[in-house]
Amino acid sequence: MDMTGEYRIPARREDVWEAMNDPEVLKKSIPGCQSLEKVSDTEMTAKVVSKIGPVKATFNGHVTLSDIDPPKGYHISGEGKGGVAGFAKGGADVHLAEDGAETVLTYEAKAQVGGKLAQLGSRMIDSTAKKMADEFFANISEHFGGTPGEEEGVLEHAVHEMEDVARDAEEKLEVAAGRGYLGGPIAWGFAALGVLILVILILS
Amino acid sequence: MGVEGIGARVLRKEDKRFITGRGRYTDDMTVPGMCHAAFVRSPHAHAKITSIDASVAEGMPGVIGFLNGQQLQGDGIGNLICGWMIHSKDGSPMNMGAWPALASETVRYVGQAIAVVVAETRAQARDAADAIVVEFEELDAVADAVSALKDGAPQLHPEAPGNLIYDWEIGDSSAVDAAIASAAHVTKMEIVNNRLVPNAMEPRAALGVYDPADEHYTVWTTSQNPHVARLVMSAFYNVAPEHKLRVIAPDVGGGFGSKIYIYPEEIVCLWASKRTGVPVKWVADRTEAFLTDAHGRDHVSHVEMAFDADNRMTALKVDTVANFGAYMSLFSSSVPTYLYATLLSGQYVIPAIHCNVKAVYTNTTPVDAYRGAGRPEATYVLERIVETAARELGVSPAELRRKNFIREFPYQTPVIMAYDAGDYEVSLEAAMAAADWNGFADRRAEAESRGKKRGIGMSCYIEACGIAPSQAVGSLGAGVGLWESAEVRVNPVGTVEILTGSHSHGQGHETTFAQLVNERFGLPVDNVQIVHGDTDKVQFGMGTYGSRSGAVGMSAIVKALDKVESKAKKIAAHLLEASEGDIVIENGEVKVAGTDRKLGWHEVCLAAYTAHNLPDGMEPGLKEGAFYDPTNFTFPAGCYICEVEVDPDTGKTQIIQFVAADDFGKIINPMIVEGQVHGGLAQGIGQAMLEGCSYDKESGQLMTASYMDYTMPRADDMPSFNVSTTETICPGNPLGMKGCGEAGAIGSPPAVINAITDAIGTNDLNMPATPEKVWRAIHAA
Repeated sequence: MDMTGEYRIPARREDVWEAMNDPEVLKKSIPGCQSLEKVSDTEMTAKVVSKIGPVKATFNGHVTLSDIDPPKGYHISGEGKGGVAGFAKGGADVHLAEDGAETVLTYEAKAQVGGKLAQLGSRMIDSTAKKMADEFFANISEHFGGTPGEEEGVLEHAVHEMEDVARDAEEKLEVAAGRGYLGGPIAWGFAALGVLILVILILS
Repeated sequence: MGVEGIGARVLRKEDKRFITGRGRYTDDMTVPGMCHAAFVRSPHAHAKITSIDASVAEGMPGVIGFLNGQQLQGDGIGNLICGWMIHSKDGSPMNMGAWPALASETVRYVGQAIAVVVAETRAQARDAADAIVVEFEELDAVADAVSALKDGAPQLHPEAPGNLIYDWEIGDSSAVDAAIASAAHVTKMEIVNNRLVPNAMEPRAALGVYDPADEHYTVWTTSQNPHVARLVMSAFYNVAPEHKLRVIAPDVGGGFGSKIYIYPEEIVCLWASKRTGVPVKWVADRTEAFLTDAHGRDHVSHVEMAFDADNRMTALKVDTVANFGAYMSLFSSSVPTYLYATLLSGQYVIPAIHCNVKAVYTNTTPVDAYRGAGRPEATYVLERIVETAARELGVSPAELRRKNFIREFPYQTPVIMAYDAGDYEVSLEAAMAAADWNGFADRRAEAESRGKKRGIGMSCYIEACGIAPSQAVGSLGAGVGLWESAEVRVNPVGTVEILTGSHSHGQGHETTFAQLVNERFGLPVDNVQIVHGDTDKVQFGMGTYGSRSGAVGMSAIVKALDKVESKAKKIAAHLLEASEGDIVIENGEVKVAGTDRKLGWHEVCLAAYTAHNLPDGMEPGLKEGAFYDPTNFTFPAGCYICEVEVDPDTGKTQIIQFVAADDFGKIINPMIVEGQVHGGLAQGIGQAMLEGCSYDKESGQLMTASYMDYTMPRADDMPSFNVSTTETICPGNPLGMKGCGEAGAIGSPPAVINAITDAIGTNDLNMPATPEKVWRAIHAA
């Protein structure tokens, strides 16, 4: 499964980069996240309870950063094990590009799911990803004192391109994820990383 | 035709218990002290097992025992085998990789059994199985057969370099190449036959019981062929000696081939019963059925058909890659070879045919025979390319077929099969008349006025049933003979028990077989009991598959009935002081022809058992057995026509009408035959439009492992079928029967796709033709 996304963040690239390294805020913002700890400069572990379709499980995830090139980007890879529910693993190249006072974050993620997650939940993964991303943005927004719907147009669009291998078909979904959820520049850094972790740890 | 004899629409005797919920299936069986098994299965398509930790599981409530593959091997339980030897064209035997019932080192498909937990309840067993921690070292996986053949592909078995099981051929390659080179027209296509999941209504199940008092084993299991299961489990898997093993297959709720094979679970249940000292039952849940029931089809073929200037077929060249999954299932090797390529002549005179088949390992569920087994794949290849050729040549598809029909019988094809009888023109005309083929242009115009695209498609199939002449299949590599047995026990009161080695899993044997007795002796079908599915009751038999229960199973019954009739007539002649040649049996009476002297059937039977007054030297009793080995396959054939309407805005296809005109030879019960055809058509239309088993190409994960993602046909997907039969008598068996169990699934997929491609004006469309695929094909065309 391949997913790509692009986010326009109204913050300087350095601020976004910095925000992508604070586990505490991430933990509060990722839906179902019970713990998220930085074990080294390049490694994090997380425990996330998630429900995808009929499969509900606690995923123990391990995330590694490599090809680190501050503040331009890195490669993030990881896997989440959900016991009998199956597993998810994958990686993503993350790029931060300056655009005036704003930052454009893009990622290209490649991920696999296995076990019951694949057998029973594969059809739900895309919609679950969108739902959890929305939830994540709302949490971030609230964390910085904002409320949903306060501002518009910050996140112009996020395009999830998903190859639905099960039906050997490609669908392009325009996902207006998080439209209007805003807390401040730094939140978008967390949001971006949060989506990546969600993608890798849990969803796809 | 009597009211219950051959040709009568007798209601199915077995349906009373089925429709009132009183069928008795394997999961209905309970024995004292019975415990339950749950299997630990691989979540990975390809991985090495590095450790198995059952410490938590073994202490959980109700857990009786935990067993793994090392213990299984230690107890000498043998690997699963494929029982049909195929040699590659270079003469080398097929490359079969080892398949242990429980994997201890390497797993090669998602769902492969690794270990088993036995506990007091099913829930306890499943909870404990979930608590077993298996660590894996993941390996690269490959899910599709074409990729598995490429250099650098992940390798599954050391026994099969390059993942190649065999590279087999049939026919005259140089004759085919010469004919193609000099042809007036050559049609070329790549044709994919999609992988299917069998989805029998009753999931697989097993209850294994070891009795230490007699050192005897009993297994209740969902089997289409309990005797074969006993033979294979004793002779090859060393689970139990054959004379100490009883295999019982009670009511079986559908199989479609998937219940022919002996799977790891029934082996493990029996073995675990001895190991743990308790009876062990396992019943698959639906996910396990998706993951572990042998799948069907999965071919990719390059096909070329050559024509001369007069549109006569001159050659057919087929190059097929067949996906076998991770292991060779029991009869897997025969499906894309002798059950497939030997049918590639279809209903046509094709002077030169060559077919090459590469059988390939992949990290997917094993593939084996599924309703039609090879013949649907052959029919799809042939009937799609014939239809496409007609379009390219600008001739009517009916005329192109008609021009090339075989018209003289027996007909020796270039690919082993010798057709004994048929009349393809008659089926074609019957189907075209029933479908109002000539009125299609008007209907298409009318649909066009509503913005819809109408199409009509045809398929003229042939298949080989009545599997099979033992000597012939033996020479082709079969590990067993494919005769059938029967025993007719006439009781002293005149009622009859038929013991047959075939075994119904939905086909209505209890009714059809009883009708045969009614036809012979005039006894009510209620006075006839069919006994099957139990190795302790029935003499050896080969089971039910390949539409063989009528043509082979009933032929054995006929032979046994002949013996019974002969003896009954001798007794009656003796008692009536008449010549044996003057005795006739009809309507339950035994008469001297042309006189009023007669005895009741029951009087003759009682005399056989009282033995007070039998002819000199005659043994008492009235019970006879017979074995019947067919002399040839039978060749059901027919013509199917499908008419569809496609909504170009959504790609949604509606079947407007589906016509089936089949030649099944002699028909015993037309109602049951129609039911078989209806079921087969639903399955074939399901394959054509709805069902597609899909693996993630890289990870080998099964992405369609539930009914959320795998679409089964429903009633509202189907039109009201227009089913009829034509008849040419099969000369090869005493009843003239051909077999009807698979025809619907064989003939229908190409008819559907030919109709849809006719509607949307392209030849490029793969099954299942979902609305999305059809929509994309419309927009690509």
